[in-house]
Amino acid sequence: MTDPLLTVHNIETYIGQFHILEGVSFEVPEGEIVALLGRNGAGKTTTLKSILGLTAPRTGDVVFDGMNLRGMQPFDIAATGIGYVPENRAIFGALSVEENLRLAERSKGELERKSDLIFGLFPDLERLIGLPGTALSGGQQQMLAVARALVPDNRLLLIDEPSEGLAPVLIEQMMEAIKQLSSDTTVLLVEQNFIVASRLAARYVIIEEGASVASGDMADLVNDEETIRKYLGAA
Amino acid sequence: MTTTTVAAPTRGTSTSRWLRKNRGKLALAAFFAFVLFSGLFMMETNDWIITIIRGLAVGAITFLVASGLSLIFGLMDVLSLAHGELYMLGAYVGWTIYVRPDTFLDALTPIALVLSGMALLPLWRRIASMWTAGKWARIIAPILVGVAGLVIVVVLFPKFPMSMWNLDVYTEAPINNSVALDQGLQEVPPPADFDGVSPLVGIIGIWLGGALLGLGIAGGIERKAEVPASKPGVGAYTIAGGVALLALLIYVVNDPLTDWWYGLGTSPRFFFALVITVVLAFGLGSFIEVVFIRPLYDRLLYQLMMTLGLGFIIIELVRSVWGRPGFTMPKPAVFNGHGDACPGEGLGGMFSGCSTIKIFDSRVRMYNEVFIILVGILVLVTITLVIKRTRLGMIIRAGVQDSEMVEALGINVRRVFTITFGIGVALAALGGVIAAPAIGLNTGMGATVLLLALIAMAIGGLTSFPGAAVGAVIVGLLQQFMIKYGSIGIPVPWMDEPFKPSPVLVPASAILVMIVVLLVLPHGFFGREE
Repeated sequence: MTDPLLTVHNIETYIGQFHILEGVSFEVPEGEIVALLGRNGAGKTTTLKSILGLTAPRTGDVVFDGMNLRGMQPFDIAATGIGYVPENRAIFGALSVEENLRLAERSKGELERKSDLIFGLFPDLERLIGLPGTALSGGQQQMLAVARALVPDNRLLLIDEPSEGLAPVLIEQMMEAIKQLSSDTTVLLVEQNFIVASRLAARYVIIEEGASVASGDMADLVNDEETIRKYLGAA
Repeated sequence: MTTTTVAAPTRGTSTSRWLRKNRGKLALAAFFAFVLFSGLFMMETNDWIITIIRGLAVGAITFLVASGLSLIFGLMDVLSLAHGELYMLGAYVGWTIYVRPDTFLDALTPIALVLSGMALLPLWRRIASMWTAGKWARIIAPILVGVAGLVIVVVLFPKFPMSMWNLDVYTEAPINNSVALDQGLQEVPPPADFDGVSPLVGIIGIWLGGALLGLGIAGGIERKAEVPASKPGVGAYTIAGGVALLALLIYVVNDPLTDWWYGLGTSPRFFFALVITVVLAFGLGSFIEVVFIRPLYDRLLYQLMMTLGLGFIIIELVRSVWGRPGFTMPKPAVFNGHGDACPGEGLGGMFSGCSTIKIFDSRVRMYNEVFIILVGILVLVTITLVIKRTRLGMIIRAGVQDSEMVEALGINVRRVFTITFGIGVALAALGGVIAAPAIGLNTGMGATVLLLALIAMAIGGLTSFPGAAVGAVIVGLLQQFMIKYGSIGIPVPWMDEPFKPSPVLVPASAILVMIVVLLVLPHGFFGREE
């Protein structure tokens, strides 16, 4: 078996004096969508931030593509090929849609090379290209946040709550886009909406009170009502 | 990529909505316009125009300081209280390069040698990271090494050949150098010699001092580092070698270079002083960010205390090097012409080389008003273009909102912080150099301008770059009108005598306006609402 693209090994993260992650371990195989599941405040977002070094783990290792990311600065970690779509989307309001995309370029002209892919997935963005980030609706911001992570040649996308606050029709659209982009990019997904997560991801990891407590194939979890009830509340 | 237009949001009642939303701004703008134009009925039109032009000049200087403050505050949430003193330091350094280039050249060699030794920091960090010792040894040794380096530098620095002014001898004091340059009587000071040490010992010694200083700092960094330093790249060696080579080159050609520099007219000398001061200030600003500000991000109170303390240190440093009393800086010849053809007529007279020109029957000083306002406009346009059009500007605009996300995109935000702080300090120093010929130099000039700049920032909205410009112009105009009314008085119907604002009211009026603006617009004119 080939090595997984991302291995998170027993990381512990503190924010200030709060012990947020108390031992999270899982693997993300190349080419798959893995969903991080768990209740509110379980530590899913902190796990993503710890991988990127935005909240650096105090102990444990994150190995991406054979490289240990310990001690690296967030911008160096991102530049190894990890894209981040945060929960709040973090679209830059003072920048136009095009500038938001350009900012993600790691070499000149990357946006032009990727425009077919990006505007193929999100045709709306091409229409909005000159608008300032503040003028976008929630759904458009979410599309832009995902598109921004697609501009450079990222091998792994960390997507936090893509369906949050979106209308059902937009959720469908977003799921379709993630499914399509996962054909050549590995995705680690945080998703509260279990139906969305179960339809997208092939594998799951459950985080409970800062620790990874269960993982496996999504197909098994869907039929395991006891696990679902125990860790995720009502299914 | 094609840009398609999008249907504009429905206008309908949008005009009235806009009016309602911006009624505070409109009311204030109308109020300021009223104050400005009511001046027309209280003074001669000529005086009114002159007062406005002078106000714009004060605004331009204030803007140079305020714009750096707002860039830094916007991007990094750091309020640099040392900014006024950095402006003052810029004036003093600019004065030295302008009036006494020989001293500048003499001092450049030892300073560059120290920096060259410190520039090998990556190598020193690598060495420090390979050193294994007990906990206490790792705490104490870097301090001892660093202090030893500092002592060597402090002992050897005055032994370098340096033709300085003598503060105790009136005829050699800076003020007399200024006068001599202004009257064209300046002579090239005799070259100095190494004092008590051989050149070889001095040069190698002071480089070693810088190296030890770097090693001490490296030891301190590595003690706390989680990951040992990696092997230094070629860049560090190139920079250190290049700086050392420059130091030696300047040492070798010191005398002919000094003679050549003294042979230049005041205009090219002033231009050199401007450019070199701005470059040095950029370097100093970057250094301050890396060494002093970086450890204190997210600790607002400590930053304020640190920058305030830094300001005091700069004041004392300037006092001990340049002396206590204020002194003057002669204007470059191109703005200081006299003769039959002067003053120049109208805007075309700007190129006549006269010290004053006539606009609408009013005499306007070329340097104090025209040149300073032009520099202010040039900086405003340049920085606006950088912010709007370049990738650096894009990163700054994005970083103002969310620097963590910028980092998550793979951009080294720390480096952008360093550059931005450097730009901010460079702008303040530029303000200092161009203000010095107009208002002279004294150690209190920084505090005055800092107060005005902070008020301008608050009026403009703290983090807004155009806001800093608007705020600075409002503050500048207000100052000059208050000074003007101080002499002609404001007629008040129920008072026999016209009301004459006393000089104390001039700075107070700026604070008053800030209070009024912030009561009506809590976020200033262009501030973002949190």
